[in-house]
Amino acid sequence: MNEIIVGIDLGTTNSEVAVVENGQVTIITDNGRKILPSFVGIDDQGDILVGETARNQYLVYPERTVKSIKRLMGQDIKVDLAGHEYAPQEISAIILKRLKAIAEQYVKQPITKAVITVPAYFSDAQRQATREAGEIAGLDVVRMINEPTAAALAYGGNQVEQKRMLVYDLGGGTFDVSVVNIEAGVVEVLSSHGDNHLGGDDFDQQIIEYLLDHLSETKGVDARLHSKALARLTRAAEHAKFVLSDQPFVKIEEEYLLEHNGAAVHLSLELSRSDYEEMIEDYINATIDAVHIALKGAKLTPADIDEIVLVGGSTRTPCIRERLFDEFGFEPHSEVDPDLCVAMGAATQAAMISGQKVEAVLVDVTPYTYGTSALGYLNGEYYPHKYVPIIHKNSALPICKTEAFFTNHDGQQVVSITVYQGEDPDALNNIKIGEFLVEGLQDVEAGNIVTVTLALDLNGMLQVSAQEKATGLEKSITIQNALSRFELESLDSAKLRINKLFGQADGSVVHAVAPETDQSDVVEARKLIAKAEALFDKTSNEDKEDMIDLIEDIQTCIAEGLTDRLKETAAKLADIIYYLES
Amino acid sequence: MKTPYAILEVAEQATDGEIKQAYLQKVKQFPPDHYHQQFQQIHQAYQAIKDTSSRTKTALFTVQEADFNALLDHAFSFGAAAAISADQIEKLLRASIDENLFKIELPDTLKTL
Repeated sequence: MNEIIVGIDLGTTNSEVAVVENGQVTIITDNGRKILPSFVGIDDQGDILVGETARNQYLVYPERTVKSIKRLMGQDIKVDLAGHEYAPQEISAIILKRLKAIAEQYVKQPITKAVITVPAYFSDAQRQATREAGEIAGLDVVRMINEPTAAALAYGGNQVEQKRMLVYDLGGGTFDVSVVNIEAGVVEVLSSHGDNHLGGDDFDQQIIEYLLDHLSETKGVDARLHSKALARLTRAAEHAKFVLSDQPFVKIEEEYLLEHNGAAVHLSLELSRSDYEEMIEDYINATIDAVHIALKGAKLTPADIDEIVLVGGSTRTPCIRERLFDEFGFEPHSEVDPDLCVAMGAATQAAMISGQKVEAVLVDVTPYTYGTSALGYLNGEYYPHKYVPIIHKNSALPICKTEAFFTNHDGQQVVSITVYQGEDPDALNNIKIGEFLVEGLQDVEAGNIVTVTLALDLNGMLQVSAQEKATGLEKSITIQNALSRFELESLDSAKLRINKLFGQADGSVVHAVAPETDQSDVVEARKLIAKAEALFDKTSNEDKEDMIDLIEDIQTCIAEGLTDRLKETAAKLADIIYYLES
Repeated sequence: MKTPYAILEVAEQATDGEIKQAYLQKVKQFPPDHYHQQFQQIHQAYQAIKDTSSRTKTALFTVQEADFNALLDHAFSFGAAAAISADQIEKLLRASIDENLFKIELPDTLKTL
């Protein structure tokens, strides 16, 4: 029996875990749910919440809840969660740990290995951060594969006849487009392009801005200053977006949003699909431009594409389908659930690695050009940072390329190698991803040859080395998130910290219910709150607002020890729940 | 050094379609997951000969440089020039009219560090 490797889609909004059993891909469910919302929160007991419960809590306690952490991966910043600072890797690790536990419960054995998907356009730093998140969660990330590639694998793994596919992947926070050729069991990515900060969250933000403007114009309030109101607007915007996928109009109503000058402020307005589409037009245009860049990278035209595959929840936006139809002249496919096909492809790749018999072979490319800088001429003028591309965009992985350089002056014993990602002829306009010195070169005339080798592995991670040709003197580095380096010790301490949050050494069980206390009223009230929060999605706005008010009241009572009022309020909440459930 | 044709085990006269099929078979035999070196070699070979334009470029760098003195000698002694084959001449001709081929990027300066 081979060791089980799971496939994980660690998304901006939602995450999923899947596994291949007897040649069949299964999305592993948790209490019947295939999707785990990528939300992390801390409840008032200090216990950790992941997924649905954290998402529900976001409305009431935005300051104790983190969403869309994927957008911050690879950046050297911390997020605040209930008064503690965490690196984005750590928050992602909490989600991964939960997915790991869900999978372990299903396969009934420990899981230590995973294939995790990343947006094709994720940079080296973002990939490294993803790998670190895996490590903190106790998962060996055996491979990172690109999300559109995973989707193509889920769609076309067992395809026989030749097919050229365009994968349009618009998720919560990232956009990728890949051109894929499927033929004779080989799934070969021909080109890839994208934007690692464009997604459904931006669409939500446009609606939020619209609502905020409306409030400030009509009511003269700045709702930005009220975190709870902002959280409710965020949720309302997201909801409006969903409704507009099927309906031409949506009514946005949030009563008792906040208090202003002693009076309650209610929000009520209508948004039409056409107004919404106008708001997001620039984003959609950017994705269509990217589609053309990807086609050009594959040296193809729209007429060469046989099939369009839509991936990611944001592709439900009708105008995206329309725009693609205008460009290609046929309807895109979405038979495989756009939320699930990435996880399914990841599981397929995991099965290939663990040696299960899977027909398809995968060939992927890098969406980035990597190179170094040298003295040279730019626009006819001497320039010390001329970009020298070494690995070109859309090269098949793995790839290893070497370029020769010469020392500039006599007796030069040190050369500095700076590695960049990008295409601009001026290296300084590209993204610097690492640098190192080669010291102790021979004391010879200018023209001493130093070779620089860049090797990009299947995960899209870069290894750089330089060698003095005459002596073989060598120096190499792996670009390990060079600009926001997460040291080994801090990885270990992060692991401990996260485990502690889960309340036990291996963190395989997450507490959803607060531990027993002797105050039975408080325990009862908390159970009610959890119940109420679980009903949020199914209730009308009015009931939801009532429940939120009551929950807040109950929290105050608990905090201040007001036993009588607690009983009273809890009874009201219980009534609503009873009424909703019956 | 093996030629791209030898790596993919195809004849020099093979069609685009035959070359592509040979490449796909080789990739299945040596998938990138397990055969890093071989895969790179196979992929490069395919890029070098996958269509007419890439084959011409490759040919340009593999056709022996014409030695005009030898050609003249040959012509004087035998009355006919035959040091390079008709096929090679055709390739050279084709190359000379494909102006894109002469946009080969030359280093605009010595790359110094």
